[in-house]
Amino acid sequence: MREVCITAAQTVTGLGPDLESLWRGVLAGESAIRPLERFDTGRYLSKDASWIEGLDCRNGRSGIYPLLERLLVGFGPVPGDAALITASTKGCVDVMEALSGGCAGDPAELPMARLSAWICGRFGLASPGININAACASSTIAVARAASLIAAGRSDAVLVVCMDLVSEFVFSGFSALQALSPDVCRPFDRNRNGLTLGEGAAALLLLSRDRARRERRPELGLVAGWGAANDATHITAPARDGCGLIQSVRQALDRAAVRPEQIAAISAHGTATPYNDQMELTAFGALFGPRPVPLHSVKGSIGHTLGAAGGIEVALGLKCLENRLLPGTVGLLEPEEAGAGFVSRTAQPIAGSYLLSTNSGFGGVNAALVLSRGEG
Amino acid sequence: MEASVTGIGWVTGRGLGWGRQGGDCEFCDLPLPTLSRKDVFPEPNQRFGRMSDYSKLGLAALTFALRDAGLEAWSARRAIGVVAATRLGCLATDLDYHRTVLLQGGGLASPNLFAYTLANCFLGDAAIQFGLTGSSVAINEADEGAGAVRIALEDLALGDADTMLAGVCDLPVPEGYQGRLALLPGAAFLVLTASPVAPHESYGSVTLTDGGSLLFNGAPFGSLPGLVRLALARRQAG
Repeated sequence: MREVCITAAQTVTGLGPDLESLWRGVLAGESAIRPLERFDTGRYLSKDASWIEGLDCRNGRSGIYPLLERLLVGFGPVPGDAALITASTKGCVDVMEALSGGCAGDPAELPMARLSAWICGRFGLASPGININAACASSTIAVARAASLIAAGRSDAVLVVCMDLVSEFVFSGFSALQALSPDVCRPFDRNRNGLTLGEGAAALLLLSRDRARRERRPELGLVAGWGAANDATHITAPARDGCGLIQSVRQALDRAAVRPEQIAAISAHGTATPYNDQMELTAFGALFGPRPVPLHSVKGSIGHTLGAAGGIEVALGLKCLENRLLPGTVGLLEPEEAGAGFVSRTAQPIAGSYLLSTNSGFGGVNAALVLSRGEG
Repeated sequence: MEASVTGIGWVTGRGLGWGRQGGDCEFCDLPLPTLSRKDVFPEPNQRFGRMSDYSKLGLAALTFALRDAGLEAWSARRAIGVVAATRLGCLATDLDYHRTVLLQGGGLASPNLFAYTLANCFLGDAAIQFGLTGSSVAINEADEGAGAVRIALEDLALGDADTMLAGVCDLPVPEGYQGRLALLPGAAFLVLTASPVAPHESYGSVTLTDGGSLLFNGAPFGSLPGLVRLALARRQAG
């Protein structure tokens, strides 16, 4: 199996137009969560989200395009032979809303293949690309897929692009499910009461390590292991015993040939719903025992960015490994009992080379990545 | 990398079925059959009636494929993975749900419909119904399921699972959108296994070459429906 290297990473989030602004904001304990102005939130549980100015659907053109334009400006260079894997749960959902509401829009914008073709065209990629739709683990699985293609020698380079918007469609749905927090979300807090939505995007370029060295590209980090599993328990709720997450993490650790005690930090899903966070703490307890592993969630800073979450968290995880520092969890006031010693309001040092990044979602999906420090 | 096709199931405008039951899988422009629980499961099933049409369609074809492979019954959970390709995903469900959002400023939005506005959700239903704990993803691609077969074969080669399901699932293009979108609706799933199987248990072998080509018993195919046709034709020839 070949080593898999991430050579470029970029994000656009509520905290700023690039990865540096995200890193600085998260380290400073900032949150981009604020009152939404994109649509009327009067009938919903929450009024807030981490949203980005200028991403409204205009004249039938989805806000996903300006989001991608901001993400991809200056990104690269991307090799022409790179495969493309995108990750999004709802893509141009704002165009669907417009059409459904009788406004201007082109139904041909709705298939995800259209977005993939746009990205391919932008970088001149030969591969038509696929989109991964695995709920809130979409981009984690996209990175895993990219890594497996490279590790197996089926591809030398893969571009992963992850994105999702804050839309009334999704906002109303989580509100109807009673899953939105009326306040800013509080991941892993004893009194957490739901998630806060966010929007954003991430781009990651993965290369075989040999090629990265040959082309003298920066080695931001390695994707050392990956795994995915289904809870087979419930459509919208996680398995309380964390069985799917445990299986995913064990698969990732095995593939990375890493022992649990070598994991130095965890970037958790940490949505701040009562069930998700409890499930994760149960799973991490089963995997790592009483040893406190520094753990954080970025959702209090940039909201839950759905299909983009895993990709943004991988990009942030690379910064954590580079700086040997895990940011504090914004929104956390009083840690859940099982999270005491793991999760913190303040930044924690990372004493090791491996970071575990996990996400879970509707449909019972779970996915895990083991990232390790790069050397350049 | 190579795997045996051990089960085939489908629902199309020509009807529903599975390989060893006889019949053909033909994607066409005819209306899809309205699926009831009794069409799919002999026993009562509390969840089926609550599912979206998209989920019923995908779950039915997946069920028939497992039945065809002799894998429908289970007692312990199995690390079987699923990859489902779809062009439009649950667009029809999205539109149904959005109609509930448009009422009273979103105050009447349906939580049950919202739960089915993700293209992968029927894979969660399948995981629960059949104890499937492998990776389960929906993919959007332009190649009518060839990507799903590729991913399934790659996962088998990596040892992530011994058995994978690969399929396609799409409802008809919603009314009013036909002018700008086109596809042949229906669903079909294949059971692929890396383990050795007896000749009578296999329809033949699928290969992903180093160059990226997909072959069934040495013959190239470019879509999952194309693979199903080749596999069923071999059954009839045999």
